[in-house]
Amino acid sequence: MLGVGCSAFLLSSACAAEDDAQREANKFFETDVRPLLSKRCFECHSEKKQKGGLRVDSIGALKTGGDTGPALVPGDLEKSPMIEGIRYQNKDFQMPPKEKLPDAEIATLEKWIKLGAPWPQTDADKTKITEGGFTEEQRKFWCFQPLAKVTPPEIAGAWVRGDIDRFIAKKHAETKLDPAPEADRHELVRRAYFDLHGLPPTPAQIDAFVNDKSPNAYEKLVDELLASPRYGERWAQHWLDLVRYAESDGYNADEYRSAVWPYRDWLIKSLNDDKPYDQFVREQLAGDEIAPNDPNVIIATEYLRHPVYEWNQRDVRGQWEIILNDMTDTSGELFLGLSFGCARCHNHKFDPILQKDYFRLKAFFAPVHWRDDLKLATPEQKAKHDEQQAQWEAATADIRAQMDALTKPLVDKKVEKAVEKFTDELQSIIRKPSDQRDALEVQLAGLCQRQMTREEKTFDVMKSLKSEEAKAKYKELEVELKKFDNIKPAPLLDAFVATDAGPKGPPTVMKTRKGEQEIAPGFLTLIAPGDPEIKPIGNSTGRRTALANWITRPDNQLTTRVIVNRVWQYHFGRGIVATSSDLGKLGEKPVFPELLDWMATRFVAEGWSLKKLHREIMLSATYRQTARRQPPEVAAKTDPTNRLLWRFNPHRLDAEEVRDAMLMASGELDFKAGGPSEDGNSTRRSIYTMKKRNNQNELLRSLDAPAGFSSTAERQSTTTPTQALLLMNGDWPMQRARKLAGRVEKIDDAWIYALGRPPTAQERETAQSFIQKRTGGTNANSAAKSDTTESTGDFKENTPQERLLVQTPEKEGDEFTIESIFTLNSIDTAAAVRTVASRWTGGKDSIEAYGWSLGVTGEKSRFKPRNLIIQLVGEDDNTNITYEVVPSNVRIELGHRYHASATVSCIDHSVIFRVQDLTQPDAQLQTVTVPCSVRAKLSGGASALVFGGLNKRAQPHQWDGRIEAMRIATGKLPETELASADPAKWKSALVNWTASVGPSTQFAWSGSDTKATEATDPYRQAMNDLCQVLLNTNEFFYLH
Amino acid sequence: MSCNNFDIPSSRRQFLHRAGCGFGAVALAALMGEKAIAAPDEEKAIPPLPKFPDHVARAKNVIFLFMEGGPSHLDTFDRKPLLNELAGQPLPASFKPPLTAMGEKNTALLACKRTWKQYGQSGLWVSDWFSKVGEHADDLAILHSCASDGINHAGGVCSMNTGSVFGGRPSLGAWVSYGLGTENKNLPGFVVIKDSEGTVVNGVRNWGSGFMPAVYQGVEFNADGVPIKYLENPKGVTNDRQREKLDLLGEFNKQYGATRQDNTELEARIRGYELAYRMQAEAPAVVDLSKESEATKQLYGMDHEETAVFGRNCLLARRLVENGVRFVQLYSGAGSKWDSHKSIEPLHSKLCRSVDHPIAGLLTDLKARGLLDETLVIWGGEFGRTPMSEQGDGRDHNPTGFTMWMAGGGVKGGQVYGATDDLGLYAVEDRLHVHDIHATILNMLGVDHTKLIYSHKGRPERIDQNEGHAFKKIVS
Repeated sequence: MLGVGCSAFLLSSACAAEDDAQREANKFFETDVRPLLSKRCFECHSEKKQKGGLRVDSIGALKTGGDTGPALVPGDLEKSPMIEGIRYQNKDFQMPPKEKLPDAEIATLEKWIKLGAPWPQTDADKTKITEGGFTEEQRKFWCFQPLAKVTPPEIAGAWVRGDIDRFIAKKHAETKLDPAPEADRHELVRRAYFDLHGLPPTPAQIDAFVNDKSPNAYEKLVDELLASPRYGERWAQHWLDLVRYAESDGYNADEYRSAVWPYRDWLIKSLNDDKPYDQFVREQLAGDEIAPNDPNVIIATEYLRHPVYEWNQRDVRGQWEIILNDMTDTSGELFLGLSFGCARCHNHKFDPILQKDYFRLKAFFAPVHWRDDLKLATPEQKAKHDEQQAQWEAATADIRAQMDALTKPLVDKKVEKAVEKFTDELQSIIRKPSDQRDALEVQLAGLCQRQMTREEKTFDVMKSLKSEEAKAKYKELEVELKKFDNIKPAPLLDAFVATDAGPKGPPTVMKTRKGEQEIAPGFLTLIAPGDPEIKPIGNSTGRRTALANWITRPDNQLTTRVIVNRVWQYHFGRGIVATSSDLGKLGEKPVFPELLDWMATRFVAEGWSLKKLHREIMLSATYRQTARRQPPEVAAKTDPTNRLLWRFNPHRLDAEEVRDAMLMASGELDFKAGGPSEDGNSTRRSIYTMKKRNNQNELLRSLDAPAGFSSTAERQSTTTPTQALLLMNGDWPMQRARKLAGRVEKIDDAWIYALGRPPTAQERETAQSFIQKRTGGTNANSAAKSDTTESTGDFKENTPQERLLVQTPEKEGDEFTIESIFTLNSIDTAAAVRTVASRWTGGKDSIEAYGWSLGVTGEKSRFKPRNLIIQLVGEDDNTNITYEVVPSNVRIELGHRYHASATVSCIDHSVIFRVQDLTQPDAQLQTVTVPCSVRAKLSGGASALVFGGLNKRAQPHQWDGRIEAMRIATGKLPETELASADPAKWKSALVNWTASVGPSTQFAWSGSDTKATEATDPYRQAMNDLCQVLLNTNEFFYLH
Repeated sequence: MSCNNFDIPSSRRQFLHRAGCGFGAVALAALMGEKAIAAPDEEKAIPPLPKFPDHVARAKNVIFLFMEGGPSHLDTFDRKPLLNELAGQPLPASFKPPLTAMGEKNTALLACKRTWKQYGQSGLWVSDWFSKVGEHADDLAILHSCASDGINHAGGVCSMNTGSVFGGRPSLGAWVSYGLGTENKNLPGFVVIKDSEGTVVNGVRNWGSGFMPAVYQGVEFNADGVPIKYLENPKGVTNDRQREKLDLLGEFNKQYGATRQDNTELEARIRGYELAYRMQAEAPAVVDLSKESEATKQLYGMDHEETAVFGRNCLLARRLVENGVRFVQLYSGAGSKWDSHKSIEPLHSKLCRSVDHPIAGLLTDLKARGLLDETLVIWGGEFGRTPMSEQGDGRDHNPTGFTMWMAGGGVKGGQVYGATDDLGLYAVEDRLHVHDIHATILNMLGVDHTKLIYSHKGRPERIDQNEGHAFKKIVS
């Protein structure tokens, strides 16, 4: 078949074949032109090389041209860039680049084009090029074909349960393979729970299914699982991978994007509601155009907000270009399964995607404006809020005006400085009244604005105001303003969404070596060559609606195949097309092409329902096969990779499944759904774990969770020694093992909780002898008793009293006071800090390490020796983990008795030290206030509260001397309450301790010959180890 | 070839063939110290990975000395007399005004306050800030025409490490591990050591494996104490107890694996735990410097406070390379400390002093041990600094032209390559973009970077995003 584009020439040449003039022209071509092209041009522009994407060895290729468009127009010298090139008219475009052709040769080529560029037809030309320059082979490539109308093969047999199985059985018959037996109920129930919920079944859930005698027990199970809200929490993770969801900016400051989580909740809810996939896609691409007033729809446009960007960018224009490219690349892969990114700089080398097509797709996104001013609220909620806000504003207008009078000139100056840092061009855009900005300027000004907003947000009034008088005045006004808080409306949720910059989009320019060309929105030329109809919608271009409608056309052969294939992949571990984001030539070919088309057709006919698709797949005999089949001989030879599904694919659990399964085993999993994310120390499901691009949760990262920089279609499954170190020695996994051990009453329980089954006789015996060996035959679960020696306040290394471990009903939080009476006998000869009190593991860069420690510096400290300091590990303004030392610069004299306190406030960003030397009767009380930058999370780490040392035993960090009394209070205690050096007069707080009080459930000594409970109880210790081992087994990590 | 987790190898060769896919089995291959080998796929135009090294090359290992924050090329290795002649005046109109990170505009050119000297037989110019490194001039290949896309630290450091201003791509060390494998399977193939607790811009992803399997990522070593996170047994767990746990784990895994022998990932996990255990034993020994002589320690400047930290790290780098670690990256000034927007004199003085002696010591020691020839030492930062002043006495970022140098590993020393313009603002001769620098480094290791391909989402990915050229003039 020949396309329209080339037929004019081919027809004319065919009709004129008998014509003498034409014969003459052909002869001219063969004798003069072809040798010339061959000699001068083929080296760079033929079969082997195609510089600039251009071939000159066929007329079709010349007319289609390369990256910059057609190389010649028959009969028109001026419109033929090839002529411009060989004439050396344009300094930037000279062909051949090395040396200009002799004039005679230039004349030959000019004459040839004037003649209409005759090129005798050859058989090769006939089949090579069709319309748009695509080869017939490209055009016929499978994924561009419309969905085939397929009837499931008529195959009978006991094995076949549904239509899917007919396709598989047919292929098996052709390849002499046979299916594996059905998995037993234990295998099946574990597979189904992990697959649909990402969680292991509980022992009760296993029993219920295994003992269900009804013939449709499995169908009931699948239906139940699909109806559970846990389903959305699992399958949302797959989509989050694909849309490169992350909760931070991804550049150096990596600021936390606190308003992104509602998208994750929208996603979970959409899946649980079985929102039709076409609607699901349309909302993400164009929710703002579809339902601008519905917060439950516009939040979906957060899809357009996921690219990396940070407030402190200077090269805003360049960044915006990168962001648009990112949206284009991702959307091409995600929805259409094509590697559009390859066509950004040239026509795709393997797939029929023109460079122009890249820009046609990009043009749909070009008008996108990242909005920071919208709220997630209904019009009613907004109206109510605005009304209340207006009341508050009216009531406080005077106070705020006075505050502004104090601060505004200073803020404005700071903001102006920020503006001046941009290039002149950007500055002029920023300074333009907003109604005079064109679309691109609106976009760029929006991105620049963050820098100025940042200045306003971080403006420190107390530091900036010069006079004490002004400061006092401002504080007074603050108090006044606070009085109106009761009429102030609760703030509405910020909407991390996008709209268009206006009804007219900015130009999308394709730059090539030849110059610039403006490109209008359009779809893939091969499938939909024309210009789509696009109508503005309100203040929006309507482009993305047009794109969404095209992507979700029921007959879109790409979209439908892509999503059905993805769902198959997540169920089976590999797609029918193994490269699920690239159906093109560089990807894999489908192994069951008819099945794919049949499922895609059916998926659309069933209303784009994902749940129906899951059900269809999971009820098939194909899905129910066991994974526990060693490869039979034929399979080992012909299909060792199980592409043809002669069994179920075994696979490792992914990162979130492992973490959630550990929390299930330890009995700690918190099923609270939705809302802001929490750090990895939380016991909530992993989908609610913060996803900071630069600071991923270390367990999830080590198990291949993606960082959210680019779309991930398929997880890796890697094994490294460092992963093993983390799992065996890391605090978090260790803690889960302890918790699991705490639930275990007899050995069998450990297996049931960790692996969902009782141990075999052999395993039980192995475990028993393991424990026996450790306990020396005593199998008693003896509770450890602490020493009952009389307690004093002496802390000394290598004695039973090294550190005092303290249990608290609650944690002290981000604002607290530590008060102590102590005497220090020595400092460390190196730089270690003698610790008065701490809640700290000693680490500095993991979430387990959040904490604080009050102590006195050693000889080699960079804060000089004997300095009373507090060390803090928490979150800074960008929610990054930060470690800092807050020194009082008060020197502690050895052997002196002190009354000292430290009041830490993350809210005020300060620590107040009060230190009084009690040995010297006339010593002054020293009060020092030192700023700190930690903002939160001081109590968020893994450590316990400890007096006289850190969480772990580490002698240089331990107190050497006496601690007579300690008090930990939440909040800032006023000076009056910190005045007394007599602990008996201290008011009751979170923790009050004096040395005269003996050990109790709240206070336990730890030292060289008394140990914490685990250490004194060999049974407990052995059980912890057994549980840790079970949580590390291959059986725990694998579905096989 | 199939990119699938569950291939059942019928032979070792077939098994290794799958390794290029980047799935579970690759981990095992890498753990076994194997190199990446991908099967050819003519249909998809992905050529087979050749056996690397694919050409004769002397470098086997790399020590990359990363001066984070951007050292000034104008005050160290790139001497510009015109700069001092025009100091105090604005940038001449003939220069295209650059986009500066801090946005200060039309500032005066800042004179270089250094004294310069020609060193060695080659007579290379080096400023007094690097007088000790200068003594090795005849071994240095100084690249004056480096260029990057990253104008700020985040983009610059990411670019120098991965070739892209954005995260998500594998770092150079990961590519090297992928191409050449490791020579000591009890140690990671790619190790990173910082000179302080400061966080390198962008954090750990600078040595991440991007879209490649995690097995290729860099492992951060602490210079003292426990070298790798979680390397120590948990509190109170003795080695015997740890061994008992692993034995128990091994026994359960053996029973589980007995009926699942076709699943090679299970075996990989078993080996992973054993390797971890051996690493627990071996890694601390590598960082234990007690066996090094005082003379050696002095050679690295460990006996002086200001050079002690970087000296120790340089010595560790030598020991790691000796023990088969393929790629070592040392950060000086972790947390952008080389950044000198103002007061460049005191800031740079201090940092140069802290690294000059240790780096010279490293070069001397490597040479004395015959290791220099097979170890490529690279010095540089994410960018250089502007000839224009900032805040009076500082210099802004300059990614458009800056200096790096290489030594050892078969480079032709005693020479400068490329050039910036007369004020050191733009690279004008033999411009080497980071993509070219990466290609050049791989070339020194015997790897044709155009053949080191990792198939990601169906696309043949290269370190240079198909844009780089190896600069072969530096090969001796």
